[in-house]
Amino acid sequence: MSDHRVINSRLPRLDAPVKATGRAVFIDDMSFPNMLHAAMLQSPLPHARILKIDTSRAERLPGVKAVITSKDAGLVRYGVSPARYDETVFCHDRVRYVGDEIAAVAAVDKETAEEAVGLIKVDFEELPAVLTIEEAMAEGAPQLHAEYPRNLSAEVHQEFGNVAEALKTCDLTKTTTFKNKRQDGAFLEPPGCIAVFDLDGRLTLHSSTQSPHYVQRTLAMVLGLPVGKVRVVKPYVGGGFGIKAAVNTGELTACLLARKTGKPVKFIYSREQVFMLCRARHQFVHRMTTGVKKDGTLLALQHECYLDGGAYSSFGIATVYYAGSLLGGPYKLPNMKYDGWRVYTNKPTCGAQRGHGGVAARAAWEQQLDTIAEELGIDPIELRLKNMMQAGDVTCNDLNMSSLGMKECIEAVRNASGWASKKGKLPRGKGIGMACGFFVSGAGYPIYRSDTYHCTATVKLAEDGGAVQVYSASAEIGQGSDTAFGMIAAEALGVPLDCVRVISGDTDFGVDLGAYSSRQTLMTGHAVKEAAEEVKRQVLEALADELKVPAADMDIKEGRIVFKNGLVDYSGIRSRYIKEHRGWSDSPQEDALTFREASRIAYLAKGTIVGTGKYKPPALGGTFKGAAVGTSPAYGCSAQVAEVEVDLETGKIVIEKMTDAHDCGRAINRTSVEGQMEGSLAMGMGEALFEEVKFDDRGRVINCDLAEYKLVTALDMPPVETIIVESDEPNGPFGAKEVGEGAIMPTIPAILNAVYDATGLRIHELPLTSERVHAALKARGIKQ
Amino acid sequence: MILPKFEFHEPTSVAEACDLLARHRGKARPLAGGTDLLVNMKKKVMSPGHLVWLGRIPELSRLERSNGTLWVGAGVTVSDIAASEAVAKAVSALGQGARALGTPLIRNLATIGGNIGSARPAADLPLSLMVYGAELVLAGTSGERRMPIAEFFKGPGLTTAREDELITAIAVEVPRGYSGAGYLNLGIRKSQDCNIVNVASFLELDEKAERIRTARIALGSVGPTPLRSLKAEKLLVGAKPDERLFEQAAQAATHDCTPILDFRGSAEYRRAMVDVLTRRTLAMAMAEARSRT
Repeated sequence: MSDHRVINSRLPRLDAPVKATGRAVFIDDMSFPNMLHAAMLQSPLPHARILKIDTSRAERLPGVKAVITSKDAGLVRYGVSPARYDETVFCHDRVRYVGDEIAAVAAVDKETAEEAVGLIKVDFEELPAVLTIEEAMAEGAPQLHAEYPRNLSAEVHQEFGNVAEALKTCDLTKTTTFKNKRQDGAFLEPPGCIAVFDLDGRLTLHSSTQSPHYVQRTLAMVLGLPVGKVRVVKPYVGGGFGIKAAVNTGELTACLLARKTGKPVKFIYSREQVFMLCRARHQFVHRMTTGVKKDGTLLALQHECYLDGGAYSSFGIATVYYAGSLLGGPYKLPNMKYDGWRVYTNKPTCGAQRGHGGVAARAAWEQQLDTIAEELGIDPIELRLKNMMQAGDVTCNDLNMSSLGMKECIEAVRNASGWASKKGKLPRGKGIGMACGFFVSGAGYPIYRSDTYHCTATVKLAEDGGAVQVYSASAEIGQGSDTAFGMIAAEALGVPLDCVRVISGDTDFGVDLGAYSSRQTLMTGHAVKEAAEEVKRQVLEALADELKVPAADMDIKEGRIVFKNGLVDYSGIRSRYIKEHRGWSDSPQEDALTFREASRIAYLAKGTIVGTGKYKPPALGGTFKGAAVGTSPAYGCSAQVAEVEVDLETGKIVIEKMTDAHDCGRAINRTSVEGQMEGSLAMGMGEALFEEVKFDDRGRVINCDLAEYKLVTALDMPPVETIIVESDEPNGPFGAKEVGEGAIMPTIPAILNAVYDATGLRIHELPLTSERVHAALKARGIKQ
Repeated sequence: MILPKFEFHEPTSVAEACDLLARHRGKARPLAGGTDLLVNMKKKVMSPGHLVWLGRIPELSRLERSNGTLWVGAGVTVSDIAASEAVAKAVSALGQGARALGTPLIRNLATIGGNIGSARPAADLPLSLMVYGAELVLAGTSGERRMPIAEFFKGPGLTTAREDELITAIAVEVPRGYSGAGYLNLGIRKSQDCNIVNVASFLELDEKAERIRTARIALGSVGPTPLRSLKAEKLLVGAKPDERLFEQAAQAATHDCTPILDFRGSAEYRRAMVDVLTRRTLAMAMAEARSRT
């Protein structure tokens, strides 16, 4: 075991008490004096020209304080990637999906605001809409954006090695087409915000966001405010999964209405509006041809992918790149060709969701690898082990696997699941399957081109001594990052966690790109560690002056000063401290000099002790177009085994057990790592079995609530055996890397492979509803 | 989502409740657990101007067995039915339906009266009540009447109750020995689903446990109301029960339903599942009947 004192343990989360008692403050709990409530008018049509907007009746409704349209908001184009700024706050000439925002109202209460929205009259000229990839790409199809012809939001064409040549030398090639379905992020807490302008024209936006930093920048740009006058503060957040990683129209709207009325304005998305906001997982259609040698050696992958993007780009450019680049590993693959097209359709906009871009691709490929293994007569685990990369290997698309516990993960799930006694030996209707996957520990580059640090952190010691404050603009969104940073600071400084307070999620505390691409533990962790070490250095220096002992001969451990070369007389410091605290009942009694005394001495000698830290990755990746997407300072990886039972008459699948191993480099908080592993698995399971956003032929979401959009429930969750593998990542703080997204990668293909083992059916379309499985069983004439 | 405006009434007796329903005829809805009504009101599917809350009428929550009849007050919650030993002993399939309904939170609020009165074709409780031959007790301003539950349903959300009438209780004659029932539902996931298909079956054997004396099969989610499968029942009555017979009956049941295609499932799949669930519930009913000889 490690000799760490704080990290790598199972300390309770810092936010556990407030969350367990219901005292944690989320955006909907907040209000301000004289606060107004906003409502938005959204398009009822999938595609139409706006001829006229008449807001006069809405403006006359008692209680209405402001009605805004594109005339007030302006037409500043924004988005996620500066390469595709294709959105404006409100539509002015055209609506492009059911839900596209047209106008907004601020009123004394939500009821009045919603009533006023109903009084806004819009004359539309309906235009033909494209609702599928095929319709959007057809010759002569209606175009969504004049500047992006053929409804192509983005396309990618990459080749590494020579796939055509390599395929000629293969003993076996396999081609399959695979399709997932559009997902919804389905976080418990819909996004929401409150915008407040102070009398000096400074804006503070309190928002349920994953990235205060990106929201701050976009608000400044769209509202035409200096960035220094925009502050974004994040209260507790009830999940994001990628959808809250960019600014949303609700945030911009609340700010515009607050500026116009001079009053705080609150806007909270309804669940129905969450489905229209979407920004979640795309629908992907993957066509893959994989070529191998007889002995199972992987030689080439030829891969085409089409993404149904919806009306705007959001994170979609990154998505279409990730869908290709994340197949570069974890297997040695010398030749890879990828062609991807992200297509605009008249539907809500898709974006980034847990496992960004890689989840459906991974599902398609890992199922195909199983098919290949079977045809070659090789155990699927052996096929994977045979081709597995090792730490230090670089993929054909220049991703550096600086640590890779993939083999250890595979062996862990193989042993824990009893693979050898089950694979191929289970009765009909029962099956076992496995798969692997990996993911970035933070994107190698920010979403806007910049040399910015990806994060900064400040650690300050309370002047009274003994307390440590960590300031960061990072985003605790339920994943446990505050606790992780508290633990990293405590470990680096040598104090117990209960000395540390973490104050985060506020752009006033620095730059942090936020909670997306599984970046915070590694990146913010580095910054916090550096800041804490800096503080420690200052404390020891002050002590060195005071005690005339070289700083190098001292250390801080568990809140006490350790003298490496034997006892040092610190009674002077202690009596000074006790004199300063005459009448206090908690004088230090320890038979060692405490951090409390030492940090007080440091303050007395030097003033407030502050340390800062920062992090940005070194230059990563190749030089080809799109080389940045997929780069990361480190990659987490995982393997899972699924055990399923398929009812051969109804087609219903029950997951009986999942065995899940993940290499997170070094676990900062073991319980949090397991939480992310189980959460990822639950999300993957939902996508595998149940989840699909469905539309009618008018482009409206049919199942826009959590009764009809089927997440897995607690009853559906199987027992999950989680195994943490620690590879000690050289680029991570204390060796840590990601767990938040990589852990979803193997879930879907492990289930697909188990379903095959149970039924002999290869199903190439998600979700595996009982009806789909039943139809496949029937088509194959399989009876119990 | 905000509830539309309504007036809220809290009667303390059935008579008072019926008076309120009569006074606001056509504009009032009885409110029990609210797990269906309030959701539909928030979605603006319904916006009654008056809600008559039944939670202050104590007689609606009795659950007792007397003289061979199980009386279930309309206000008894689904969780109480799920946990009731009297239900488990006398009408086990009703308990199975209760346990399959919604989630624990919904079951704590939802009532049997509401599950029947909302007349959803996929509801979990009416099917077993139909195969047990249950009767509804309806109270109105002009008095009380009883009707077989099957006669209550007219279409999705539509019933034969008059606008001033309330379901006050459900009366189930406790089946004799040599009989058994079974209920199964199939949704997308394990809970909190709208059923794709649900089926209840009831069988009563003769005293030698050789032949089927009575058979009742009810099918849910495959028609505008819960449906009886008379074709299947006809095949079963008088016959010797075995697997082959149940297969034939299940096949027959698929001809007695009128499933539609919607986003939850295709008509073809629903029909195929009527076959599977009918066969399985018949086997459950048979097993229980044998255990009660």
